[in-house]
Amino acid sequence: MKNTAKKLSWLLGALALLQLTAPVAQAEEKPKEIRIAFSGAGAGGRPLAGGSSLATAHLRGALEEEFKKDGIKIKWYFNVGAGPATNEQFANKLIDFASHGDLPLIVGRSTGLRHKLILGQGRFGETTFVVPANSEAKTLADLKGKKIGVTKGTSGQLTLNRVLERNGFTERDFKLVSLDAATIKAALATGDIDGALTTPYDLIARGVAKILFKIDRDSTLTSVSNFWVGEEFEKKYPDLVQRVVTAIVKEAKWSSDENNRTELLKMWARQGTTTYLDYAESWKAYKLKERVSPLLDEYYVNRIQKSIDEVKHFKLARRDVDINGWIEPKYLNVALKELKLEHYWDEYDKDGNIKK
Amino acid sequence: MTNASPSLAHAPHHGRVLQPASAFISRAAAHVGTRAVGLLLPLAVLYLWQTAVDREWVAIQLLPPAELVWQSLRDLWQSGDLTSNLAVSLSRIGWSVLIGSAIGWLLGFLIGLSRTARAYLYPSFEVFSQFPVIGWIPLLIIFLGIDEALKIAAISMAVIVPVTVATFKGIENIPTRLLEVARVYCFTPRQLLLRVVLPAALPSLFSGFRQGIMQAWLTLVFVELLASSEGIGYLMVWGRQLMQLDLVFVGLIVIGVVGLILDLSLRRLEACLQDWRHDNKQEQK
Repeated sequence: MKNTAKKLSWLLGALALLQLTAPVAQAEEKPKEIRIAFSGAGAGGRPLAGGSSLATAHLRGALEEEFKKDGIKIKWYFNVGAGPATNEQFANKLIDFASHGDLPLIVGRSTGLRHKLILGQGRFGETTFVVPANSEAKTLADLKGKKIGVTKGTSGQLTLNRVLERNGFTERDFKLVSLDAATIKAALATGDIDGALTTPYDLIARGVAKILFKIDRDSTLTSVSNFWVGEEFEKKYPDLVQRVVTAIVKEAKWSSDENNRTELLKMWARQGTTTYLDYAESWKAYKLKERVSPLLDEYYVNRIQKSIDEVKHFKLARRDVDINGWIEPKYLNVALKELKLEHYWDEYDKDGNIKK
Repeated sequence: MTNASPSLAHAPHHGRVLQPASAFISRAAAHVGTRAVGLLLPLAVLYLWQTAVDREWVAIQLLPPAELVWQSLRDLWQSGDLTSNLAVSLSRIGWSVLIGSAIGWLLGFLIGLSRTARAYLYPSFEVFSQFPVIGWIPLLIIFLGIDEALKIAAISMAVIVPVTVATFKGIENIPTRLLEVARVYCFTPRQLLLRVVLPAALPSLFSGFRQGIMQAWLTLVFVELLASSEGIGYLMVWGRQLMQLDLVFVGLIVIGVVGLILDLSLRRLEACLQDWRHDNKQEQK
């Protein structure tokens, strides 16, 4: 009996030693590549994006530059299937970072996907309901029972639900047709759908569409765009996460500089779905700084919480999502301090007004 | 050791009870044997599915557990969403089969009955039948848009081919002696059609119709995956967009079950038709 006890204690000791050495043994080799997904693609699936600091970072090669010295490749994904495709990709462990609209982000979280929100990717903007040029509709009510185009499962669907609810309607009052962003524009032009929320200016210039109504500035209607890192990657390579965030914040600063406006919007327009005219017109009422802000301020947190509530209200996810512990601002804060940009972007309160 | 004796004592008694039971079971087993073997593969798949879920071979978000699929199926059934979407799908099938088989029969009769029509039409038809329906869709979208017309047109096209072929073959295979008899009796074309051609070709007509419906069902789902706002295919797209993959599985199950029911009942009908025709022949003798 004594012998066995002795053997056992040896074994336990050895195990304990193994436990101690294990973390050291598996620590910190660098990944070969960092995989980042855009929840969207350019017209015809071209690998380009626009409208965010991540898009600027991609277009200007900022992350490639940052990681060149380490031999780490940046692998970009442009998901034609938008936000829902990004969720599938992440569930299959194919990506480490992604930009995401609020609805697919929350839907993914509700099914148990583990990621941390580390950066804002855009906010505010105008909301425009567009109809074909020959449409006889005067109000939304005239479109009852007609076809509305929307990319289902993307933030556009949630925004549409908000707009419909304000007018006393639900999705069920219309025929919702799921189409991707580029096809929505094409279908408006051909009259295959009777209306959609989209940027209209290029279509108007071509004489194929008109605005039914426009909501200029409404911080409770527009949603925030998001950038997250998978928890597994964050745990393994926190220093790399920091460098990614810092590099993107630098691009956010560049994208917020009014001197770069024309160059920036032209660059973003290269993806082809939202044209230069669309950007120029729909962004002219805003300072770049307002819309590009990477901050995770009170407004950001409140918008995410509101969206979580709405996803539940509109029954778009089955399980509840808890915001606690989801948003991780430390990388952003370090980046802001390092780049001396702590006061560059205005902080907004929960209602979307600048904090004094 | 002492434990063994009571069970031994009971053994003969058990045996007597068991014998008829086991005989019954073996008879029953023999009866359902062939069907039971057929069940093995689905059961194995179900087991593999469950194991894959338990061991998380595939992310839980992408491969939902079987219970969840069953649960969603029941929920959708109870809320009426399943039946309303199924009704939409079935009405699409109805219209397409109506249009497709009308055109198919017309073509089949023309080609089958008239040498001239055959010379003009059959080569083109043969080329047409080589294209899969999916290949037509980009072209159809340009002319018909993405609306109901596209769906009905695409599904109808899938129906036309088997119906035409079966009709044409049915007429072609009518025994020449029947036609000769008709000629001897100086049947009018109307009489020839109603008394000889139709009854003789009826089984192939029906089998073409059955194939047409099955083709329609298979094409339907693909067409509904394109832009649509209702139907079984739409239900599946919707499920995928909101990461409720159980809805995709529910869709698959419904498609399978409805397809099976359609096929079985049409086969049954076909068999009845054959019997009826047979009986008629007997009477005529």
